[in-house]
Amino acid sequence: MAFLRQHVGLQKLSAIAAVAHSTLGPRKKYKFIQDEATGESTLASSCLRILDNLDLATCAVSQLVHETVRVHHEVYRTGAGCLLFFAGAWSRAALLCLQQGIPTSRVVAAMIEGMDLCVDVCKKSSVSFDALCVLTRKQVTEAPLESKVIKEKRQLKLSRHFCNTEPETILVPEPRLSDVAHLAAGLSHGCNNAMRLVIEASRIQAKVIPNSVLDVTKVTTCVLPGLPEDEAHVCSGCIILLNPDQASVAHDLKNKSMNVVLISGDLSHSYRHLGFNRPAGIQCVGNQSNLSDLSKEEEWMGKVLELLQHLEVDVVLVSGLVNAAVIQRCSQRHILVVGKVRASVLKEMATATQATLVTYVTLLSKRCVGKGIQVSMWREIGSHEGTPLTAINLDAGGSTRLVTAIITSPVHGKLQSLEDRFWACAYRVHHALKDKAVLPGAGVTELFCIHYLMKKVDAENPGDGTRGSNPYLGIILHLLADSFTEYLAAVMANSTGISQVKARAVVNQKLQDVNSISADFSQLILDSDEGIPPSKVFDNLSVKQESWRKALDLVLLVLQTDAEIITGVDESKDGNHARLMFL
Amino acid sequence: MSRLVGKSPALCTDLPLENSDILNKLHLLGQLLRSCFGPSGRLKHIHNNIGGQVVTTSTSSVLLPAIYSSTPFLNLILASIRNHVSRLGDCGLFAAILCVTLIEKVKQSGLRQNEAIRINKHLLGLCTTYLEDKECGCKVKLDFSSSHNLIKLVRNILCSKPATMLREYETLHISKLAVEAFLLTVPSNSNGVVTLGMTVIVPIEGLPVMESKVFPGLLVDVPVGFEDLEPRNQPCSPLRVVLFSTSLAGHLSEIGDGPIEVQYGTDMDSQILDQLLEIGKQVFKDNVKICVCQKVIHPVLQQFLRSHGVIVVERVGINLMQPLVQLTGAQPLATLHSTIPHKAYGQVGNVTLRQFGSKSMLHLYPAEESVICTTVLCHRNETILNELKVACQKTEHVLRLTLREPFALLGGGCTETHLAAYIRHQVRCDAAGSASVFGCLQTEYLLGVEAFCSSLESVAAALQHDSEDSLIDLTCAHHWTLPKDVTQEDMESCERKCGCGLIKMSQTKKWCHLNTKYPVFSPASLSPDVTVHADVLDSFTAKLNALQVAIETVNVVLDIRYTIQDVN
Repeated sequence: MAFLRQHVGLQKLSAIAAVAHSTLGPRKKYKFIQDEATGESTLASSCLRILDNLDLATCAVSQLVHETVRVHHEVYRTGAGCLLFFAGAWSRAALLCLQQGIPTSRVVAAMIEGMDLCVDVCKKSSVSFDALCVLTRKQVTEAPLESKVIKEKRQLKLSRHFCNTEPETILVPEPRLSDVAHLAAGLSHGCNNAMRLVIEASRIQAKVIPNSVLDVTKVTTCVLPGLPEDEAHVCSGCIILLNPDQASVAHDLKNKSMNVVLISGDLSHSYRHLGFNRPAGIQCVGNQSNLSDLSKEEEWMGKVLELLQHLEVDVVLVSGLVNAAVIQRCSQRHILVVGKVRASVLKEMATATQATLVTYVTLLSKRCVGKGIQVSMWREIGSHEGTPLTAINLDAGGSTRLVTAIITSPVHGKLQSLEDRFWACAYRVHHALKDKAVLPGAGVTELFCIHYLMKKVDAENPGDGTRGSNPYLGIILHLLADSFTEYLAAVMANSTGISQVKARAVVNQKLQDVNSISADFSQLILDSDEGIPPSKVFDNLSVKQESWRKALDLVLLVLQTDAEIITGVDESKDGNHARLMFL
Repeated sequence: MSRLVGKSPALCTDLPLENSDILNKLHLLGQLLRSCFGPSGRLKHIHNNIGGQVVTTSTSSVLLPAIYSSTPFLNLILASIRNHVSRLGDCGLFAAILCVTLIEKVKQSGLRQNEAIRINKHLLGLCTTYLEDKECGCKVKLDFSSSHNLIKLVRNILCSKPATMLREYETLHISKLAVEAFLLTVPSNSNGVVTLGMTVIVPIEGLPVMESKVFPGLLVDVPVGFEDLEPRNQPCSPLRVVLFSTSLAGHLSEIGDGPIEVQYGTDMDSQILDQLLEIGKQVFKDNVKICVCQKVIHPVLQQFLRSHGVIVVERVGINLMQPLVQLTGAQPLATLHSTIPHKAYGQVGNVTLRQFGSKSMLHLYPAEESVICTTVLCHRNETILNELKVACQKTEHVLRLTLREPFALLGGGCTETHLAAYIRHQVRCDAAGSASVFGCLQTEYLLGVEAFCSSLESVAAALQHDSEDSLIDLTCAHHWTLPKDVTQEDMESCERKCGCGLIKMSQTKKWCHLNTKYPVFSPASLSPDVTVHADVLDSFTAKLNALQVAIETVNVVLDIRYTIQDVN
């Protein structure tokens, strides 16, 4: 059939994936996206943000891509560019196969086999985090004899004769701060400033609970426009911006230990919990009293204030909205009310102060009130609307591990990217700690994959003409290997500025001598002036495997699809659309 | 002032089968369905044009409801197939493809429609009698003393859904789980009437397929924010359960629509809340340990119950209510305005908290032996997880059907080719006699038979999508696939099997292409005393019904003289 030779879905996938190219590698380039209709524009440097800003609703493939990238980002916060690049590269590989007349089922089977091989390479080439810790610690304390032994072991793991049988015999202690710093440097991938914040966060958190090093669920960010970028830093506690009303209360409350209550939902008279249906068609009869909504609200406000004062509450943290009038009334009674507080902050505050989260203020009782929250003035910030904002720091004494990364930039449009980068770095360290292993970075893992794919290709095409069950396995694995080369070349071209062709040549040259790859290949990708010594760049094991898998799932879904069914299209209106066939 | 819009006259189509537009659409529908058929079938993206969610599928139960034609003629066909799928769960595409193909073939043969109808009816009777016969050569008796055939039956259903993206070992894992879940729903000791339980499927996105598991009892979501607080220590078992089907959110949920008159100054919300707290007090007093509500529970009531050591589960949804009733023996309470009768309480054996990735769920164990179980299905992303969920629901349906008729048909197209060969042979014996019964010429009769048989064969051929050749062997009349890229030497070097895996290449000598004429022969059935092991099995009940639905739909469609469409 003719349409098989030209698979539109795969072509679309490949076209959308092209946006990922500029986001690969340590030196990311910004894209400027302008909406012709509204004149609004956005600055984006990650592929999720680029996709977010494109209009993708009209085509099934682009929707699938966006959905996949979004879900991946929610969990991993990094690796989406890699996912999208491979989705594009493998869809081109699949297209080449179809052009050569290879049946779809064969392509699917071979690509899955190739992916298994690469995932296996990942497992084998991963460096256990424990071994890494010991290594760095020994290096620091300079015990030359022992470290040599361990070093050899590690090199053995990285060599092409993967040692998969030898278990680590070294008794491994919990990761320490110095280990995290070392690991973080290797995982920064060019975002050194963001990673500096992550290391700082980890240092602050480790002070509270010495044995654990980074808990991303207790990290929050505060974005401050207008300040120079090098003022970004991390402080313990939670930084919150207040308007002048709230700020004056905060001034009175500062540096005292206070009582706090936590409310989920809005703090208002009319708020009802989720699932509550307001009855329709209620008519009031009788004429005893005419309580208007306004006076009802007044009555509610009075009750709330009375209750809060009775319970001696100083601070009310609300996850939903609080209107200005309520804030003002509470401020008059010296009660600080803060709305739109993140759920993670509320949860941490609940644990730290023993407060109970409630939905309605009326639910509050003595047992719900938390103790020991502190407010300190952090700094004043002029905002572009004219009213000055005050930033305060909420902290629950020494018992909370909550830290806030303050992200600053004079360019408003860059803030989103900087925040994304911070989270990417934080999650890279988080996943490395969770995996308890990292991959050799800077393209080494991909080179291993190419090496092993090509070895398999050679095994598939022996001279005597015997073939395995899938006669196309060799061709398809070769294409997969090419896509890894393409990836390395794209990363290299992005980061060093050399041309794609030259980058390809370098990769091919490096492949010739796989033994030396862990030594100097990384140097080429990461300039040595970045301050990171070669062979100490790492990638995340689970993130890489997952982004490859997701990319392949996407390609295979699209490859096996031969038609789109669009529902709700009216034949009489869109009937002359050439591409559509109507049932 | 309102304006009257004149009604358009109804659209009447004379002889719809002569209408080229309708025929083209029928052909397109056939192509669409054929391309989805079988393990290597192509997928379809289904979406609306305004950015709704994209569904990727090749399953009839998802695909058919999405297809809607502007032609009533096609909608008639689609509706009857949809009906079959909702009743029997499987073989929807088989029925649809057979139906469309047979209509087209009858049309091509030039037979008069009422003759074709009579011939089809007769041949359907032949098929049904043969399939229900003990000596039927394409039927396998299911042996419940071993789970092998059941697993094969399930495996074939999963394999024919390529959008589930399962690997070989994953398919096997899910097949085993499906059979395990099915066996859990069959009561082990019963007197008289057997009531089957049910399996609840809990899909979990993002975990590998191999983490999927079957649990006896039920898993329910734990309210957000209370994951770590829930089951503290539950000393005594069994635990008393109360089950509400009415909303405990604190609004008037039982009054329906229409205006309500209340006195000024009445605070309805607090009055209902008082009523809720009354219920809470009774629940606590009656020593209830778990309170489950189909809908929302008011936060104040939740706090009250929790502070008295009651586990609160809300928003379980309507789908879980029936299994909850069966598991706990509780009667769901539909009103707030009466005291709870003691017999309405149910019980569970124990509760534990289970963790799947980042999701925590409360596991309710049955107090006694129970026929309710939960399958936790894990897969990498939402699209393929949805397809897997649908496939698993089908497997449960099909396994249940085996209890009524413990048979399976040979899969992989072998049943179709075998049946076609059988009919050709049967008809050959008595062509002249039958023709006179139908009042037509013998040649006309044979034309009708040819249309019927070649339709069956083309359903078997529709399993191929990568330009392989479809063959039939001239001994047992099974279906064979010959990939284009395999040479004759390759064929001989590796031992190939027929579509269902029953016969090896060495066991048979002569083949013929499916779309060519072959000499009529009586297809041999493998002797029943030899224990045969087919690899691919289809549901007997579902396929037999699909065959009947397809032919009967064809007959209805052939009988249509006019279609009258109200376009207003």
